[in-house]
Amino acid sequence: MFLTVYMYITIMAFVVFSLRKARQYARNPLAGRWELYPVPGESGPRRRYGGSYYEDAGWWTKPRQVSRVGQYSEMLKEMLFMKNLFLNRGKFWLLSYAMHLGIYLLGLFTLFLIAGAATEMLGFQLDTGSHFWAAFVYFTTAVTGFTGALLTALGGALLLAYRATDRVLRKYTTSGEYFNLTFILAVAASGLAVWGTDLGFNHIRQAVKAMLSLAPIQADGILMVHLLLFGALLMYIPWTKMSHYIGKYFAYHRVLWDNEPNLRGSALERIVEKNLADRSSAGWSSPHTKTNKD
Amino acid sequence: MDRLKPRDMSRPSTEQLINLGQLMPLPAPYDKPGMEPELKPAKDSWRETYCTSLDGIIGNDRLKRPRSKAEEEEFIKNFLNGLDKLFSRETNGGFLTPFSLAFEYCASCGVCSDSCHIFKASGEKEVYRPLFRSDTLRKLYYSYKRRGNLLARFTGGNMDINVEAIMRLGELAYRCNLCRRCAQSCPLGLDNSVIAREIRALFSMEMGMAPSMLHERGTVLQLSTGSSTGMNKDAFLDNIEFIEEDIYERLGKKYKFPIDKKGADILLIHNAGEFLSWPDNPTAFAILFAEEGLDWTMSSELAGYDGVNYGIWYDDVQGEKIALAQRRAARELGVRRIVIGECGHAHRAAVVTSDRLAVGADNIPRESSFPILRDIVRGGRIRFDPLRNNFPVTLHDPCNIVRSMGVVMPQRQVLRELCPQFREMTPHGVENYCCGGGGGFAVMRSMNFPDWEMKVAVRMKFKQVLEAFQDTIEDPTMPKYICAPCSNCKGAFRDMLNYYQATARYNVRYGGIAELMVNAMTMFDQPYFEWLPG
Repeated sequence: MFLTVYMYITIMAFVVFSLRKARQYARNPLAGRWELYPVPGESGPRRRYGGSYYEDAGWWTKPRQVSRVGQYSEMLKEMLFMKNLFLNRGKFWLLSYAMHLGIYLLGLFTLFLIAGAATEMLGFQLDTGSHFWAAFVYFTTAVTGFTGALLTALGGALLLAYRATDRVLRKYTTSGEYFNLTFILAVAASGLAVWGTDLGFNHIRQAVKAMLSLAPIQADGILMVHLLLFGALLMYIPWTKMSHYIGKYFAYHRVLWDNEPNLRGSALERIVEKNLADRSSAGWSSPHTKTNKD
Repeated sequence: MDRLKPRDMSRPSTEQLINLGQLMPLPAPYDKPGMEPELKPAKDSWRETYCTSLDGIIGNDRLKRPRSKAEEEEFIKNFLNGLDKLFSRETNGGFLTPFSLAFEYCASCGVCSDSCHIFKASGEKEVYRPLFRSDTLRKLYYSYKRRGNLLARFTGGNMDINVEAIMRLGELAYRCNLCRRCAQSCPLGLDNSVIAREIRALFSMEMGMAPSMLHERGTVLQLSTGSSTGMNKDAFLDNIEFIEEDIYERLGKKYKFPIDKKGADILLIHNAGEFLSWPDNPTAFAILFAEEGLDWTMSSELAGYDGVNYGIWYDDVQGEKIALAQRRAARELGVRRIVIGECGHAHRAAVVTSDRLAVGADNIPRESSFPILRDIVRGGRIRFDPLRNNFPVTLHDPCNIVRSMGVVMPQRQVLRELCPQFREMTPHGVENYCCGGGGGFAVMRSMNFPDWEMKVAVRMKFKQVLEAFQDTIEDPTMPKYICAPCSNCKGAFRDMLNYYQATARYNVRYGGIAELMVNAMTMFDQPYFEWLPG
């Protein structure tokens, strides 16, 4: 039962600590405006060349148009393809994207594992020659699991090598960053080792089934090592800069893309008013910060 | 590639970490030897007082060496106190989110370096890499908070916190123009310039060490006299009177600057440096606004006639005081809107940065003058003849107006309509390079800093200018015009063209948009530009 409890604890730790981190940023005082163009919420051609509503004389008299499509499409390009890195450093992108694509595929793999476990719990056998759904889940689990682990391991290993050998990156990479990449590599490599002994990931599916039915996970050898490492990684991620899935959201939505104007009588003005009223009297030490004049 | 690492910032020696040496080459005709002056090295006498141990350049003349052991301890203590305050919601609420994100999540991928014109122009000197600065701060912080434990070493916090490291960091904060081009390329959406800006804020707000031209002779002067130029109300009114007489003498028509007109639609705020250094620009605005029949005024109240706000570069407290003083001036006149003249940082300070600092009656709409100028050209009320501007014109995009505010097209639309030989720089628009005078550099004048500004900070822009005018650059009979719709950018161009003798040698000129518009007005017989043949 240890493994079942362990896995639940690690998943909960990942969720709780990630939410805690997000809450910490969400509860920061209202940031002063620090947007950076192009802002994808701008509508029409402005979004393309980096224009804003400030290009209209008397902009505050015109209806504010925010393009959600622009925001979401830019978000998706960034999340799915890491567009900015691709445009600015193709070589690094190749390595980083391999690892991230691998992680995304492993996310899909997890969903297929759960679907497969649920299917089996409903009494259907997962194999290649049975019902379409069962065969689909079986194959996609195997494909996403293998390619995900392979890409993650490959990307992680290459990033590690790149950071260790590149004359610039080597100066700035901390022990912690090497450790993080090694940790990811270890989890992915142990996953590949699991696949090597079980091409259909049946044992992991059984482990998920055990978790869903709150039964002890039957795992030994390499599967046990893999699950222990994976759980530890889950707990560790929110404490590190690997939690950039949180940071990136706030960097874009609360800083670079936040060009909401503070119009008189608006909801934002009320928030600004409260923010100004709530400002602490705690201050800086230079004498000029204590006076109103100079 | 030099071997310098952020940890070297704490080398106790007062020797310079780098010498500038080889810089990015310039295109023809500046690719020949002897075309640019040599950099002046730091004088030995400076080394005892200031921080020359970074690159031998002194940008912050108020960053002085402690003179005793007790002062050293106090210096370090103050820095660490300030460091704590940067991470506090009580003391740094407005910048906490962008700062802590950039601090915490940087993946050290170095992508930002290729976007930085200072790093590239310096011949890729490691110390100017954006990551070098932010990593130094991170190392100092983790060394301080984790005090040499295993976790500190794990996160890179294995650095000595000493006077030299802190002084070098204080100087290094003034090797960034705060142009934010690096943030555009960051794969995580982080902004290294906010780190440079917050280091400046720490040194100013906690340690009282900001460059004198930004603080004592900048924001403090503005809050006491009304303008960072030191021009008080009487001097401002005298200047206006003089400009009005000058217009009449030059153009044969009387124009009046409406001062303190209650209830006007527009309060026009220029950078007051225009009245002293480039009076043709506010004059052109007065002509255009009068001929267009706009209901406008200018304020003679404290900070109301100077859109300058150096606070946005180094000090939140000063920035807020000035922004609110400008709002008060507008409120007292009862104007409907504030319009900012051709000044980049004034645009951003008034329209964007201070947006969430005022509510109610002080929450007066603010806007750029560029869309108004564009609408004047398109409106048809004033007649323009583009052939009067028939010389090569290129456009410099002020970072604060374009990258940080999204005003990209109106200025282009004016130039496309009125300048037949308009050509873009490469790159341009939101991907532009800073003029090299941004973040206060155009006004900082301590020791050998202006030389460094000219050799390194403006170098990429000078390269762009030369490339834009390659077809006519070596023809001194053909004037070539850099349209720089920003006072600080104009300051940088003025100094750049003098330093490289580009006006004397190749007839490269600079100025704003409004002057080009007035030069094209058919109602005047004479060109507005005095350097054009009459």
